[in-house]
Amino acid sequence: MPSSAIPSSWSSHNRPELLIARLRSAGEGRLKALRELKNQIIGNRTKKLTYIKLGAVPSVVEILTSAVFDTSGDVHSILIQSCAVLGSFACGVDAGVKAVLEAGAFSHLMILISHRNDKVVDAAARSLRMIYQSKLAPKYDFLYAKNIEFILSLLNKGNENVTGLGASIITHSCWSKMEQRALSDAGVLKKLVSLLRGSLSQRDASLESLASLIKDNPEVISKFVGPESGRALSAVTELTKDRYPRTRLLACMCLIVVQSSSPASLQVAGIKMKLITILLELMDDPGEVGDEAGFALSSFISESEDLQKLAFEANVVDRLCDHLQNCLLQTRRYQGILLALAGLCSKLECCRSKIFSHKAFNLIIDALNHERSEVRVAACICLKSLSRSVQHLSAGHFKTELIIMPLVKLLCDTSTSEQVAALGAISNIVIDFAMHKSLLVKCGGVKQLVQLSKSMDSTIRVNAVWALRNLMFLVDNTCKEGIFSELTAMTLRSLICDPKPSVQEQALGLVRNLVDGSVDSIEYMFLEDCLLLNTVGRQLLSASKTEVLIQGMFVLCNVSSGNEFHKEAVMHQLMTPADPDTLSIVVKFLQNSDSQLRVAAVWALVNLTSPSSPGAFARVVRLRNAGVVQQLKTMVTDPCLDVKLRVRTALGQTMTFDASVV
Amino acid sequence: MPVRVVDASPTSPASASSSGVDVEHKSPPACTLLGVGQAFSGTQNVSSPQKDEAWRVNVRIQGCDLEHGYLCGTMEALNVPMADTPVVTFWEGEIVDTKNYTFFTNKWKATSEVDIQHWTKFPSFSSLLDQVEVDGGKSLNLSNYPYIFMRWKEQYFVNVGTDCGLTIAGFYYVCFSCSDGSVNGFYYDPNSSPFQKLELQSAKYEDRTGFSFPSYELQ
Repeated sequence: MPSSAIPSSWSSHNRPELLIARLRSAGEGRLKALRELKNQIIGNRTKKLTYIKLGAVPSVVEILTSAVFDTSGDVHSILIQSCAVLGSFACGVDAGVKAVLEAGAFSHLMILISHRNDKVVDAAARSLRMIYQSKLAPKYDFLYAKNIEFILSLLNKGNENVTGLGASIITHSCWSKMEQRALSDAGVLKKLVSLLRGSLSQRDASLESLASLIKDNPEVISKFVGPESGRALSAVTELTKDRYPRTRLLACMCLIVVQSSSPASLQVAGIKMKLITILLELMDDPGEVGDEAGFALSSFISESEDLQKLAFEANVVDRLCDHLQNCLLQTRRYQGILLALAGLCSKLECCRSKIFSHKAFNLIIDALNHERSEVRVAACICLKSLSRSVQHLSAGHFKTELIIMPLVKLLCDTSTSEQVAALGAISNIVIDFAMHKSLLVKCGGVKQLVQLSKSMDSTIRVNAVWALRNLMFLVDNTCKEGIFSELTAMTLRSLICDPKPSVQEQALGLVRNLVDGSVDSIEYMFLEDCLLLNTVGRQLLSASKTEVLIQGMFVLCNVSSGNEFHKEAVMHQLMTPADPDTLSIVVKFLQNSDSQLRVAAVWALVNLTSPSSPGAFARVVRLRNAGVVQQLKTMVTDPCLDVKLRVRTALGQTMTFDASVV
Repeated sequence: MPVRVVDASPTSPASASSSGVDVEHKSPPACTLLGVGQAFSGTQNVSSPQKDEAWRVNVRIQGCDLEHGYLCGTMEALNVPMADTPVVTFWEGEIVDTKNYTFFTNKWKATSEVDIQHWTKFPSFSSLLDQVEVDGGKSLNLSNYPYIFMRWKEQYFVNVGTDCGLTIAGFYYVCFSCSDGSVNGFYYDPNSSPFQKLELQSAKYEDRTGFSFPSYELQ
């Protein structure tokens, strides 16, 4: 039976419409209505949303505004209650923050920070702190000296909610290195450090704020750990042992920021292992702290193999897997655990093997189908880390519909983050070393990848081409033909000429694999009037990124391993002058400072001068006339052993013809 | 490549030692012929006192991580008498880079004496012997040496069960020539015939007249 959208706990006399109407009453009745409203919405998201929908917020802001400018009587209670109601609307509900800000409450609340009545100041600061928990809160530009002065004035107040507000504004607004420096130079860093000795709320706000102030900024970090900040680092380290879990977490996060930008600063014996252990313990916390601990652990270990080794020794894999098996996981916690696992196994094979041997691996796969996008993305990132294991790729552990199907489904999603995350995992998984990569084809994966390679978003494009390039690695002819017919020479041409060099590089890597294998594969280069060959040749003339040139040169090298016709086509491309007046592109590449590009160029020459080829002699003559052989002679002591050895092979082959001429 | 399960003499006790000399380690050279996707073909001599026998072998490199001294791939034994199909195994390699791995194995039932016995079978090792006897080669700089020494250990059967009557308990001492891409190896398993020789050449795709280099990149 359909029922009213109004929660059943409302009786006829306190229905929202009536309560909102009572806000317009005068004197004591209005104050009573404000109190009643506050009590109804506190901690009740549903009621908050209902009242927001019914327009309660502008009514409260109206009361606040008129009271701010009312000097006639005692309006303190009205001010305090309306601040409290607005703070409650903003607490944990973005729609509430939006409504409060749109109703124009922010500037009035800020005015009240300077009110003569301490309780009003406290209520306004508390309310603003709620607003500053949200990303929607207004940002302060700290490149304006006035804003820094204002923040310092807040931090210097005796009221802990006001100092907390100052710290929250910094956490919310300070992002650029210049702002970090400006705040630090103005004494904010020192002030925040002094607040570490304050009340619980000041400590927590200060820790959070410090992390924003020093993040990714070695210069400010050196001030933070230096003598001018007193014993700030040891104070934070001490707080990792605090009795309050949230304080411990925030202290850990502050130290993680120090470690990531200035590892040398964090040299306290055993501190890294301690951080791992503390974060692991915090994950047992059933609340928000436990949720965030996973993210903190992930950011701590993700980039460092040494830290991953420590985490492995601390048995973190098992503990995380155990957490993952808790079927009551909330979205944020689930996401955090998956990201921590992803970080753990991003570099270490032992961590990956442990996850594979655990039944948690199936839970990671299940998470690909989770109802929440954040969890699905985290599962993809985790699978990407796991699929860096060639051993497990080769064993076919990812070659299952349970993994491929949901990943392909995610490619069709409208969210860019899901598409990119899924592409990351697919890029690795398609290197399954089996010649028949039919599972992805069967699931419609190739079609999707080709579609995404034409995306307007360059991140999606590069990842899609990357996946296709890896898919093309050692693929059999039938599969190769299927991929090519879906992709077409024209699309490949566009990708090789993409405005983004990273896409060009992957596209050329794809072509490099396309022309590998059976010699017939080289014919793809000559379709549609040599479309691909000429495109690669043009890109070698015009591209400036070495990575692009390397892939392009390996394409020509692979083509030069074919028949006479193929070799002659490569000769034509290589002998094209790089500059209008002088060098051929092959000489230019032989002189390049990148050894990989040199080695690719020399391999092409080895293939072109192979004595068993009927046209080799004529090519040697042309190469000699163009100064290529002379260039090779200068490279017999190349600093790169691989180049040096190939140069010797190439020169040896050219000399075979010298001997035959003699 | 798997070998037949046979009885052999027991192992001698391990006695590997190493010095604590701290030297700058430079990895062996990156070699295109040892890159991912490269193939090798040749034979493994599995002769016993009763019978001369060699199995044809194909190897394909699937992964290479010089930073960690790691290499892996598959090995396919073609004419194994007791198998109906070619037997494929997956192997992982330790590259002797003196940073991640030295010439001393310190596991897989291989003592330092066994190590030296096998490494000295490779002529290219002779110039390194004196130093290896001192510290396992820890203080050697192999970054410009035209040979790469490795141990290849088969990890699992790809296409047959473990009950196929074959064993992959041992491992190979391997010497790769950066110049011509040839691979020489000696299988060591205290329970199998000693010094079974593996000889492979860099293999081009059958109808090609030169070298081709596929590639992939993990994300």
